[in-house]
Amino acid sequence: MPGDPQSRGKASSRFAAGTARRVLVADDERAIRLLCRVNLAASGMDVLEAGDGREALELARKERPDLVLLDVMMPEVDGWTVARELAKDEQTRDIPIVFLTARAEAADKRLGEQLGGVGYLVKPFDPVTIGDFVENVLGRIERGEREQLRRGISSSPER
Amino acid sequence: MSTHDNEAADRARRLQRVAELLAEAVTPQEVLDAILTEGVRAAEARAGAIGVLSEDGTSIELLAERGYDATAMSGWTAFPVDAELPMSEVVRTGEPVFIASLQERNRDYPALAHQAQDAHALVVVPLTVEGRVFGAMSLSFDEDIEFDSERREMKIALARQAAQALARSRLYAAEQTMRERMTFLAEASELLGSSLDYNRTLRQVAQLSVPGLADWCAIDMVGPNGEIERLAVAHQDPEKVSWAYELQEMYPPDPDAPTGVPQVLRSGEPEFFPYFPQEVLDEAIGDDEELREIVDQLGLKSSITVPLIARNRTLGVLTLIAAEQHPPYTETDFELAIELGRHAAIAVDNARLFREAERGANAARALAYVADGVVLLDATGHVRHWNPAAAAITGVSEEDAIGCPVGDVVPAWDALTSHVPLLAPGSAPRPVTVPLVLGGHERWVAVSGVEFGQGTVYALQDVTEEHALEKTRSDFVATASHELRTPLAAVYGAVRTLRREDVELSDDDRTQFLEMIESEATRLARIVDQILLAGQLDAGAIEVELADCNPVEVASRVIESAEMHLPENISLGLEADEARTISCDENKLRQVLVNLVDNAVKYSPDGGRVDLHVRNGNGACVIDVIDQGLGIPPSERERIFEKFYRLDPQQTHGVGGSGLGLYICRELVERMNGLLSVESEPGNGSRFTLELPVRS
Repeated sequence: MPGDPQSRGKASSRFAAGTARRVLVADDERAIRLLCRVNLAASGMDVLEAGDGREALELARKERPDLVLLDVMMPEVDGWTVARELAKDEQTRDIPIVFLTARAEAADKRLGEQLGGVGYLVKPFDPVTIGDFVENVLGRIERGEREQLRRGISSSPER
Repeated sequence: MSTHDNEAADRARRLQRVAELLAEAVTPQEVLDAILTEGVRAAEARAGAIGVLSEDGTSIELLAERGYDATAMSGWTAFPVDAELPMSEVVRTGEPVFIASLQERNRDYPALAHQAQDAHALVVVPLTVEGRVFGAMSLSFDEDIEFDSERREMKIALARQAAQALARSRLYAAEQTMRERMTFLAEASELLGSSLDYNRTLRQVAQLSVPGLADWCAIDMVGPNGEIERLAVAHQDPEKVSWAYELQEMYPPDPDAPTGVPQVLRSGEPEFFPYFPQEVLDEAIGDDEELREIVDQLGLKSSITVPLIARNRTLGVLTLIAAEQHPPYTETDFELAIELGRHAAIAVDNARLFREAERGANAARALAYVADGVVLLDATGHVRHWNPAAAAITGVSEEDAIGCPVGDVVPAWDALTSHVPLLAPGSAPRPVTVPLVLGGHERWVAVSGVEFGQGTVYALQDVTEEHALEKTRSDFVATASHELRTPLAAVYGAVRTLRREDVELSDDDRTQFLEMIESEATRLARIVDQILLAGQLDAGAIEVELADCNPVEVASRVIESAEMHLPENISLGLEADEARTISCDENKLRQVLVNLVDNAVKYSPDGGRVDLHVRNGNGACVIDVIDQGLGIPPSERERIFEKFYRLDPQQTHGVGGSGLGLYICRELVERMNGLLSVESEPGNGSRFTLELPVRS
């Protein structure tokens, strides 16, 4: 599970920073979107929701979120394709992608790394810590550790 | 007539008599007998002896003597040609020697001074043929004689007769020996060529060699690990043969011995002892008194040891020994032995080659029927064997493969075998499964390789089907776990969120999370059930119990129960022909219909009618489940029956699907000897048609 349950007290520290993080949650499962929305909001983040890959691309291009939580198995356009499309576009290529998927195999993680993801969460995950996780990823990217994050994907433990 | 004339006539008569006898004598022995009896008598001598030059021309060997004292003659069987002895001198000079008295002898030949002191006159005349001295004849007399020219002439004439007869008989004997040898060689060769059982034929050859060629004949072969194996020992006396084997047990050959079998095996050079040098025997015996006794008993005289060499390999050794009977060996014997060794080696080699070829042919025959592809590459990577299974897997015929570099035969060969560990012969095979694309078709091949001295042998097994099955199985597990992860994530996530103390959830969120837990837990249970059912179907563990059943009744009950939790915008209907009894498993039929109706409702998010029609078709009962929902694109119509396939899952929120429902339906229907098919137009709903056989 990402993050550390003990750190939940810091969840609302973002409010103080003034600018709320904007996170796009792309998942065809309404339940997953709801979980992310409630818990990210609790961390003071703004949440955008997409129910399939096509919608995710549209929203990402239009809203330029700070980060995308991206499911892989989605109707219309799958998550891999969304990642590829975002990377092609200069406007969206820098948006960090954290895969949030039920696909737990090593080959999937390697693909996630190749597609430039900065995180890989396997379902089931702990939604309570999702805010801290996102904050941590964004903080590290700001500190120039994007490449380390990317490389860390395929070495993260199997679920 | 004067006494002198009488004596002369008498000598002529005696010479004539000797000439007649010699003419009748055929063998050297007969000639020697004639000379030493009638010849000696004709010369009025007391005793006579005949010596001949040895083959190497260095010594004189005493062939025979008559009339001498046995003790006086001991030690005179052979003596050097350069010795200061009358016979040596005669052989050297070709001139006769006439000695009148003992005094004269002792004066002229001091070496004889200590010899018999009762001797008198002595004559030694050369034996000459075609101007060449090949020996000498000595005659000893009872009195001192000053030989006059006539008497000298008579001795020389006698010697001439003797020389001619002896030369002739020796020639005859040599020819005889040669003929015998040729006959022996011919017989031996025929024997060797008669059978591929060279162990047996070599034993027969050894047997054939005694006693004509040897008193003892032994054949030793090089074993598979380079050890010396005694194959045959022959002697006329079988008791001696078993004794020889016992000796071999007691005194196994020392592989580093400086002479004999080990030396010949090591060097590949023949060894010839015309006379067994005592040093060699002493060296072999050492301090072993028992062994010395044995060797003395053997009475070894002379030996020939020749290697059996074929194609530069020493296969074994043939040993001939002259002991108690056979005369010491000569160069001619040596040559014969070498020739015999050559014949034997070729026979052994041929037999081995033939066996190898036969083994090869048998192996090829066996490999022709092996289901695995077997490919043999030589050290340069050229194909040496390519069995029919290898041809089937690679699509390249044996004719096109044999003799070619394997990379030319199968361009993908390197890719195919680069990850295959090459094992040492005898280790457990560790096949590696790799894809092989041939003619646009991908095949999966399990490859294992064994490297041996002269190349590499690969075993190829077409595991395309197993691989597909394995892939299906692992896909099933991966998809099943994936299908479980999403509802699990929802349940776990909802509980975790509800228990947050740092966040105040709205009542609406709280209700949604509780509903989520309920519906996702139900979904989980349903997926687990379906996974189990699908697994049982795959394993063939689902029994259908066919019984008479009324399809209309089953359909009615399905409609009734569906109406209990129907969305408001959906209406259900049933149309049925007069019921006909069908043969099916009622529970399974109900399961199928419930699933089809659920699907119809699920894929009609905008509401509409869902109808069941039960019709009587041609020998079948036909049940249609018709909706007015989303429909199915043509490309998806067969895929929806695949395991874990879900059509547009976006529309399934809150209902949940395992992707197994239609797969299970079709499997169940087919087990009841029925058919399940679908017609649809996107946007215009779907019609699932179930056909079940009417009871006959």
